[in-house]
Amino acid sequence: MKEAFVMVGFLEITLVIFMQWQVYLKKIVDTFSLSSYAISIFLFVDGAILNNINLLILSALTAVVRGFFIPFFIRKKFRKEYYLEREIKSVVPTAMSIVLSLFFVVVGYIVYHATLYNSIGLPGGSIPIALLFQGIFLIMSRNNAFVQLIGYMVMENSLFLFGGYLFPELPLVIEGGILLDLIGIVMISGIIMRLREENVSNIIDEFKEFKG
Amino acid sequence: MFLYYLPLIVTVSAAVICFAANDKISKILTLISASVSIPVSLYIWVLNSVSTQFLYIDAISKIMLVTISIIYLTTSIFSSSYFKHIPKPLLKKNLYWAFLNLFVLSMFFSVMVNNLGLIWIGIEATTITSALLVAIDNNFPSIEASWRYIIIVSVGLVISLVGIIFIYDQTHTLNIANMLKNHASESRIILIGSAMAIVGFGTKAGIFPMHTWLPDVHGRSIAPVSAIFSSVLLPSALFGIIRISQIAPFEDIKQFMFILGILTIVFASIFMINQKYYKRMFAYSSMENMGMILIGISLGKAGLLGAMILLISHAFAKSSVFYLTGNILSAYKTRKIAHVYSLVKNMPYTAYGLILSSLAVTGAPPFAIFIGEFFIISAVYHIYGFAYVIIILLALLTAFLSINYKVAKMSFSERKSTQKTKDEWVSALIPLINLTLSFCVLFAIPAINNILKGITG
Amino acid sequence: MLYLLNGLQLVYVVFLSPLIIGIFIKLTERFESKKGPSIFQPYYDLYKLFHKQSVVPKTASAIFQIVPYVTFSMYLILTLVLPIITAFPLSFGPIVDFIGGGLIFGAIGVLKKIASLDSRSNYSHLGTSRASSIGALSEPIIILIFITFGVISHTNNPYVVNNIMQTSSQWYFSLVHWFVVFAFFMALLIETGKLPIESHSNNEFGMIDQAIEMEYSGSELAFMKWGGYIKQFLLMSIFLNDFLIPFWVPMKVGLGSVLIYGFIHMLKMLILVVVFAAIQSTVSKYKLFKNFEYVAVAFTFAFLAILVYFTTGGSI
Repeated sequence: MKEAFVMVGFLEITLVIFMQWQVYLKKIVDTFSLSSYAISIFLFVDGAILNNINLLILSALTAVVRGFFIPFFIRKKFRKEYYLEREIKSVVPTAMSIVLSLFFVVVGYIVYHATLYNSIGLPGGSIPIALLFQGIFLIMSRNNAFVQLIGYMVMENSLFLFGGYLFPELPLVIEGGILLDLIGIVMISGIIMRLREENVSNIIDEFKEFKG
Repeated sequence: MFLYYLPLIVTVSAAVICFAANDKISKILTLISASVSIPVSLYIWVLNSVSTQFLYIDAISKIMLVTISIIYLTTSIFSSSYFKHIPKPLLKKNLYWAFLNLFVLSMFFSVMVNNLGLIWIGIEATTITSALLVAIDNNFPSIEASWRYIIIVSVGLVISLVGIIFIYDQTHTLNIANMLKNHASESRIILIGSAMAIVGFGTKAGIFPMHTWLPDVHGRSIAPVSAIFSSVLLPSALFGIIRISQIAPFEDIKQFMFILGILTIVFASIFMINQKYYKRMFAYSSMENMGMILIGISLGKAGLLGAMILLISHAFAKSSVFYLTGNILSAYKTRKIAHVYSLVKNMPYTAYGLILSSLAVTGAPPFAIFIGEFFIISAVYHIYGFAYVIIILLALLTAFLSINYKVAKMSFSERKSTQKTKDEWVSALIPLINLTLSFCVLFAIPAINNILKGITG
Repeated sequence: MLYLLNGLQLVYVVFLSPLIIGIFIKLTERFESKKGPSIFQPYYDLYKLFHKQSVVPKTASAIFQIVPYVTFSMYLILTLVLPIITAFPLSFGPIVDFIGGGLIFGAIGVLKKIASLDSRSNYSHLGTSRASSIGALSEPIIILIFITFGVISHTNNPYVVNNIMQTSSQWYFSLVHWFVVFAFFMALLIETGKLPIESHSNNEFGMIDQAIEMEYSGSELAFMKWGGYIKQFLLMSIFLNDFLIPFWVPMKVGLGSVLIYGFIHMLKMLILVVVFAAIQSTVSKYKLFKNFEYVAVAFTFAFLAILVYFTTGGSI
């Protein structure tokens, strides 16, 4: 199972780097959906091996909520001409942001080995931490609300990978609650995002007040 | 036992009905639910502490319950009078009430539950329920502010969730009563986990490294929402930090919190100096007070007592300030300090209320905030020495001078005034009531001391 | 025996490389539902160019004329030191390793750039600057990949790498190896000038390497082109023999097995060419500045390979 964990983990990392590369939102959302399915399959297999019903439920919830529902919901918020949904201007140049994302993976590795490795002892433990950093960086490097939301969900995905693998006995109430919260956030964000993206260029000019 | 669930039940039923009912019924229901929860929470105050499978109510929960329910009522009353100043609200009125009730419900929930994970869920739920309230002005800056609020706070809370999972790894339970009974031994994982949890909850409380959403949201949301945010939402997030500090009472964690608190008040007071917008200025003042409370929490004992006094009286005084800024905004139609003048002439109740409340929130002597800060600073002196006291005092002084100077300028500066506005009695009365309550906290200090005895020792 | 095999490999590479290019062009055209030129078209082109008069710019110095011959002979040296149809070192094998081979490739690139600068043509200069800026970023990828292989096999010898990959299924199926394969594949597309990076039309907007040989004509151009064919053939062979499909390459000296493998190698190359042609006809060219994003992704894969190695210790 350790091997599968590392493989899924590096798949996630490369998928995030792919998202960092892409400009069109549809591709980013599809990639996110794929990464959620990968985690769901991993949790399912893990649960089947450990005979842990919690993990199986969690896997089903992940697939339904993150793999299907949230991407579906976000896609519905797109305009009809989905190819128009793209990042107009990003904060960091794309090539730079890809390399920086890689840099954060390395930082995650170093941080993990400096702090937690001796206590947890799992070599692949740096992957979720790297994913957390990558998610934060995805949020910081883009201006588009949809991408920022996906960056947030990448962080949560990493958490599920981590929690599901290392602490399979974590109370299901908590994880269910987290998923419910996530649905809530996505619904609320759906309203706000659409309003924001329609006027993003206007907003940026009105940001003077938000400085300082 | 049923009584303990009553605040949750009334708010949730009010919220559910509000989704279906019309504006007037929703408003009345909200007022009823708020007025029911005040006596209930006051009654819970005198009852014993409770620890069941689901509930864990100790002194701090009781204090939070009372504060939240009083602010709930005043905010509801003030909102009903403030609504006409919003030209094109994002939500229908009944939805506004519904979300307000849900918001308060999630705060009640997070201060009452007996599970660290559920506390996290409750605090995350406050984000969901309040995001639309922030954007209710329905203009671009408020939507942007709301978006920043959602994304930054959610990211912060994910960090704290990682922290909670680490804590769980060491304690093998998330039940707070159990965690307090058998303290986990000090280990690297629990230290890192608690630090992450503190940073994460600190995001929501406006503590230094990830505070950036706070001034935007307070600057752009409507007055009652700013008031409820500043006075009870931020303390609810601090409540999570208090729980963490009880679960992991280690020296390193305390120092970490102390440093975060110092950084917060220093940054907040620096940003206050050159602030051009009055609501943002008071937002930074909230940050500064939260920093002080965090310092108090980190010190424990007398510091914790001071923090609780500060928390309650700040809640009343700051809500009063934000209600009054709502009055000013609706009359002057500007957020800039420079464009507000002759307040005393135009709106005398608002003006004097604002002067007194800003004196109160900056810790002027007769108000209870002064007492709270005094307790905290003397505890700092005993534990960390004189140098830190100087830093804190300088920051507090900077905040005091910059806020009161700007408020005085807004109130007394003369200009060839053509503006004729007058105070409305509801919108001037509610802040004054809150201001009075903030003053009256002074007399409740013995009671607070009494109730906290089990915790502060 | 070894000398015979040397000659065999040289002949194999030099005379079959245009054929591979011809097949590639034919396939790309077929994918676009066109008829396409004959697969022997590159031979005809070379034949024609060798019979043409060569013209040299008035401003160019002697370097300009020497470089095609020098670079071509350097490609011939490279042919003798890399595992193409043998997995045992030939007589020149010991003189260079992976890094050395990379250096010779780099030297060829530098010589070409100097010559194109020498021609004083604007288009050549354009190509030089583009090739340099992309090369500056793609070279580290190649180096990183070699370092990773050095870590795996404790050597930089391409023959040893091939033998390890052939015999050890643990390394062949390891995550490290597949990250490296992917990174090298992306780098291969850059180095051989395939589509997302460079389009081979006569439009100077997309030109990179093509623009460098803009001013050549006659037999010099023929040598430049032929050298380019050999370069592609060599890189593809390395990719196949050291990375993707390291199997069946004869590890013991023997004429028969090498001859048989010669055919198998053509089959492998054909598979790769089909893949290339498929990419060529499905992907559109990136804008010049988006190339750097592509290079960054390739770099990321090469770097992740090392990180995977440290995370897993190569156990998967």
